[in-house]
Amino acid sequence: MSQVEAPLEGSQPLPLEALVRLSLVVVVSLVLQLSLLDGVRVAGAHPDLLVLLPVAVGLLAGPDRGASVGFVVGLVTDLVLPTPFGLSALVGTLLGAAAGSLRPGRARPSLWMAVPLVAAGAAAGTVLRGVLLALFGVPKALTAYLPPALVVVTVGGLVLGPLVLRAVRWALPVEEPARPGPGLGGSAAPGRVRT
Amino acid sequence: MARPRPRRARRVRRTWLRVLGLVVVSAVLVTLDYRGELHGAVNAARRSTADALNPVERAVDDVLHPVGHFFAGALEYGSLARQNAELRLELRRAEGQVLRLGTERRELDQLARLEHLPFVDVATIPTVTAEVIGQSSSNFEATVTLDKGQDDGVAVGMPVVDGLGLVGRVVQVASHQATVELITDSRSVVSVTYGTAGALAAASGQGPGAALRVDYVPNRAPIHRGELLSTSSVRSTAAGTQATVSARPVADLGSLGFVDVLAWEPPG
Repeated sequence: MSQVEAPLEGSQPLPLEALVRLSLVVVVSLVLQLSLLDGVRVAGAHPDLLVLLPVAVGLLAGPDRGASVGFVVGLVTDLVLPTPFGLSALVGTLLGAAAGSLRPGRARPSLWMAVPLVAAGAAAGTVLRGVLLALFGVPKALTAYLPPALVVVTVGGLVLGPLVLRAVRWALPVEEPARPGPGLGGSAAPGRVRT
Repeated sequence: MARPRPRRARRVRRTWLRVLGLVVVSAVLVTLDYRGELHGAVNAARRSTADALNPVERAVDDVLHPVGHFFAGALEYGSLARQNAELRLELRRAEGQVLRLGTERRELDQLARLEHLPFVDVATIPTVTAEVIGQSSSNFEATVTLDKGQDDGVAVGMPVVDGLGLVGRVVQVASHQATVELITDSRSVVSVTYGTAGALAAASGQGPGAALRVDYVPNRAPIHRGELLSTSSVRSTAAGTQATVSARPVADLGSLGFVDVLAWEPPG
């Protein structure tokens, strides 16, 4: 059953193939965000693909992996934003870790369960960013910018969530526990890695 | 004898220690950048990133825009034809205005010379025409990206105008790219002048799509509805009783295509 599939634990080193795939997902997401999604404006706000990534990784691969990917994606985002450097990394780390801790057991959640969680995570990330920017003295961060951003990012999360989840699923390998043999309980055989 | 710590508990502890470490590193980076200790390195990294991403963004843009234009053009053919006819009329009106303005400018120049006024004539300032190639990647700022940068003569602080009025000012430059903070950005404050006496006030951005807030309007020189405000390099001196009014930017900030960057930096 697919519910017992578990992603590789964050403490294990990421296989090279997964690392390459994950880097590709981050770069493609960045390019799509800059050249396409930034132009999709509703009341001055746009969907945020880069805030969905750490949430999706956290949900599918746990808090450790979610925080690490959130940190890296955040640093990349900080390179294209004029906000304080490290702010997006902080938001990404917290988002990835929080999403990972919400993961039901060690099983990957189903798509129908994961998409609303990804959208909710993106909304939480937007609120956190708004609060931090308000603390750093950006005027009207919570009153003028946050309300439309919250709506657009959440709706964008629901629309783009399945795509992001599929991309992360493709990038990160899954460790399938060995099928329980008769009388063995499935505990002795090592796991199998699939993508 | 102490019981050995379960493997899972150790793993969980290690995970949260790593998360804590990343949070601390991020917080240190934010603090250092906020205190200005990383500005040089961060600006250089941001410039290099912009330069590296520029060709990729353009290539994607070249592929995606014609598709978007094709569908937009097919769906809006009727309104585009009407818009075209209106623009032709607008152009003829503008040509007539240019002829009239020529005479007025000559008179203004003579007056300015006679009175020794430090007057900046926008028409004489060299400009760099740039295309708006992108909008802000953050939902907490109102900026646009131009396809011209440092190598084209664009520098931080330069004002940006469209055919009708002020759009914003340059806040970041890369070799072939510049970021413009729009006047609707909540961090933007612009000195404005109005009326025949040249009363001063300050217009501040209130976020994308929202009207500008004009503060420090002297009660002795009220602004009338529909009055045109001009930007000024002179700062408003808040004195006497004042009022606050709303103003709408003349420039259409929602659909910027090409803009002019004025190669002029306002006095500090």
